[in-house]
Amino acid sequence: MITASPTVPARERAMPGWLRRVATPKTLIIVVVAGLIGYLALVPLYYLIWGTFFDANGFTMGGFARAYGDPRVGGMIGNSLWFAIGAAVLSLAVGTALAYLNVRTDVPFKGLFFAASIIPLIIPGILYTISWIFLASPDIGLLNKLIEPVLGPGFFDVFTVWGMVWVEGLHLSPIVFLLMVAAFRSMDPSLEESALMSGASRWQVFRRITVPLTRPAIVAAVLIMVVRSLESFEVPALLGLQNGIYVFTSRIYFVLRSYPPDLAAAGALAVGLLVLAVIGVAISNLVGRSSKNYQTVTGKGFRPRPMELGKWRPVMGGAIVVYFFLTVVGPLLVLLYTSLLKFYQAPSTEAFASMSLDNYSELFHISDATTALKNSLLLGVGSATLVMALMAVGAWMVVRSRIPGRQLVDYFSFTPLVVPGLVLGLALSFVYLRSPVPIYGTIFILLIAYCTRYMPYGMRYAVTSMHQISSELEESAQVSGASWWQTFRRVLLPLLSPGLLAGWIYILVVSFRELSSSILLYSPGNEVLSILIFEQYENGQFTVLAALGVVMVLTLAVLVVIAYKLGAKVGLRQD
Amino acid sequence: MQHQKILGSVAAVAVVLFLGACGASPTSGGPTSAAGADKSNTKAQEVYGRINRLTGDERTKTLLDLAKKEGTVSIYTSNTDLDKVIDGFKKTYPIEVKVYRGNSESVLQRVMQEQQANYDGNDLVETNAGELNIMNGQKMLYPYEGALRDAVRKEGQADGWTATRFNVFVIGWNTTKVKPGEEPKSFEELADPKWKGRISLEIGDVDWFAAMYKHYLDQGKTDAEVRDLFKRVAANAKIAKGHTAQGELLSAGQFAVTASSYSHTIDKAADQGAPVSWHPASGTPIQPIVIRPNGVALMKTATHPAAAMLFVDYELSEGQKILHESFRVGSIPTANDPLAGLNAISVPEKEMLDDPKKWDALYEEVVQSGQEVK
Repeated sequence: MITASPTVPARERAMPGWLRRVATPKTLIIVVVAGLIGYLALVPLYYLIWGTFFDANGFTMGGFARAYGDPRVGGMIGNSLWFAIGAAVLSLAVGTALAYLNVRTDVPFKGLFFAASIIPLIIPGILYTISWIFLASPDIGLLNKLIEPVLGPGFFDVFTVWGMVWVEGLHLSPIVFLLMVAAFRSMDPSLEESALMSGASRWQVFRRITVPLTRPAIVAAVLIMVVRSLESFEVPALLGLQNGIYVFTSRIYFVLRSYPPDLAAAGALAVGLLVLAVIGVAISNLVGRSSKNYQTVTGKGFRPRPMELGKWRPVMGGAIVVYFFLTVVGPLLVLLYTSLLKFYQAPSTEAFASMSLDNYSELFHISDATTALKNSLLLGVGSATLVMALMAVGAWMVVRSRIPGRQLVDYFSFTPLVVPGLVLGLALSFVYLRSPVPIYGTIFILLIAYCTRYMPYGMRYAVTSMHQISSELEESAQVSGASWWQTFRRVLLPLLSPGLLAGWIYILVVSFRELSSSILLYSPGNEVLSILIFEQYENGQFTVLAALGVVMVLTLAVLVVIAYKLGAKVGLRQD
Repeated sequence: MQHQKILGSVAAVAVVLFLGACGASPTSGGPTSAAGADKSNTKAQEVYGRINRLTGDERTKTLLDLAKKEGTVSIYTSNTDLDKVIDGFKKTYPIEVKVYRGNSESVLQRVMQEQQANYDGNDLVETNAGELNIMNGQKMLYPYEGALRDAVRKEGQADGWTATRFNVFVIGWNTTKVKPGEEPKSFEELADPKWKGRISLEIGDVDWFAAMYKHYLDQGKTDAEVRDLFKRVAANAKIAKGHTAQGELLSAGQFAVTASSYSHTIDKAADQGAPVSWHPASGTPIQPIVIRPNGVALMKTATHPAAAMLFVDYELSEGQKILHESFRVGSIPTANDPLAGLNAISVPEKEMLDDPKKWDALYEEVVQSGQEVK
């Protein structure tokens, strides 16, 4: 990223004393990173706030009236909270349990397990949701048909708030999984072992030692999950609307639908989310506040060693297989099955007889498919790397430094989470259409959009890891004469690597699906995969889309496994 | 001390970066203010004016000569079936085609943003009626004329733009869920409790709703009666989002009937063998059928005006056959016109343009309050 070069002595003499003290590599890096974070966050935020509070006639609060004035808004907020909290709790439970088993125990099939835990995130939301309709609709659900002889018709109903919670919670669980994997990997097992030696039961250890130690990660996970589910529209639109379950974001959909889009009302809704998010970030910082309680990576050497499950190993292995059958293999099989058909129909001899690879061959005939795949990979890897590099420094500022105003960096990096994708797209095209630097119409505008959108996640992953690293390590490095940059590069970065890698994987995977701002910002020649997905969808090519989903899952699963294997070689080693 | 200086410089850098990029204040012409993009590229308008007066071989020859010199054309479209037309165009003429595809909202937003910033991104735009009407209202479009336009169905000869195809909203059904002879006879019949939970409405079909609403007012129903009809239909309905998802779920049997499917969605699925149809075993489709044009328009600011016109000529001639193969209903009627003899009604474009919020709000209300009647 930025290489620190020692200041030239001749220049040093020419500089006044204060400037020499300030113009160190450390200050430069901090200023640049803080500037970039501030810049990326402020552009869409300024556009959003301006659009919310000002119209052609000056200051107005009309947007709030239109956004919250609906008599049904109370019920919508109720549904939204139920849905968001339910999905957050489910994804937290599932993600944490899977991460714990993967990192801290000797559970079987680990490599497969890791990839499988990420798959729900890779499948585009619309496909994942429709797969669940095919599985658990009371009318046509395959699972319902399967258990009908035992439990009667329509046992599962995906078109309820519980169904929405289930689908969204599972779809989001990889975010928690990745966060918790990083947290568990940086945890000294000797603490748990001591508790076990002192006679605590496994459950007690988990509850009293493990969970409290990973509290910063848990808080970060809850924060992201709640905001994400509050904003989510795909699942509520496909599952909720059918039975008249409206959520908060249904309002955003309605106000942005017509022309001119009611940015003021959409902004007013986003401002509501923003307030919630700021409170959440404040709580998360309070919880993780410079306390040594969570610093599990200390000067004392340790090697995270997996706990032996003993007689529980086959049981856990079985439980995981069942879980994956339900949540990963099920939807994936539906997808694979659909991708071989001409149109979706319940499995039957005719259906199987009509199967072919036509959808896949059609996929390879789409003119821009290879360009799109290449661009998506480029953007995914690029934005993931840039964001995690920036956020590593950003997290240091927030957690470690004493710079006044450092919390602002944290708040700014989180604000893009509440900015609707369309508003981000409008803000960026507005700015770069007028920028003298030719960025509009190139792939760089997409890179900027992606970096902005994924900054909040990057920051949460980096901050969470930073909380776990004891400051005594840095202090010893500095006492031994290392410069700030040397300490950062040689001590902190390797120790942060589990968290940075987790964030990197997350951003890579979700960037493949980003549509709402890409669709406004891409230009001919810069197509990305999500545009192709959108096109196939608009065109009614659901079966081709399913084929594309299968290809995406395979591509990204391979990439994730490679990244994970490479990542395991850096930083903390496991036995 | 030092840290305060750092913070100071951080703030300064952020401000400089930010202001630098926002050379213009959003207040000078934001997304909600009128665009007023009446700037003229005289060269493009000269070309348009000259070619509009030509016909036959002379037109094609002149266009081709000019277009070859331009070498390329940039199209913004929300028509996902345009790919095949573009492929055909590229095979016929040595012109490079750059195409941006989005949904109709993003096409409109993009054109608006670019025109406000004097950025000439596209030569022609191909999208839905509503969006084209807005662009025409902002005086961004140059009228296309010629024999081909005169052949277009009259609903498609709009101010500033020309229809290339029609979206046809039909009542469709799953033929295993609705046996021959049991098909609904009319839209009103869908209000009957026997359809409870078996039909589907689409959440975004405001244009279809406005057309049907006006149709019933014209039939002599009162506002209250029309609303009541829609609310009773909505009370029977499951609400879907997106015609593709809705169509796929109709094929799969999640719904028995869709009140406002696109004919091409159903025709395509039926062609693949799905058990769906909009033609009853006996007689003609359920009427009225709502049609809404999608069209093409020339940008006043085009940098490749001749290539743009050549493309429009192509889309209205050879392109019509290609669109037909994708089960689209072309704008120039042919011998086997799928709409022949049917009662087709149009979307009240002017009203939708004058007060779009009214129709959005009304449809939203009908759909939501209908669902509460449980």
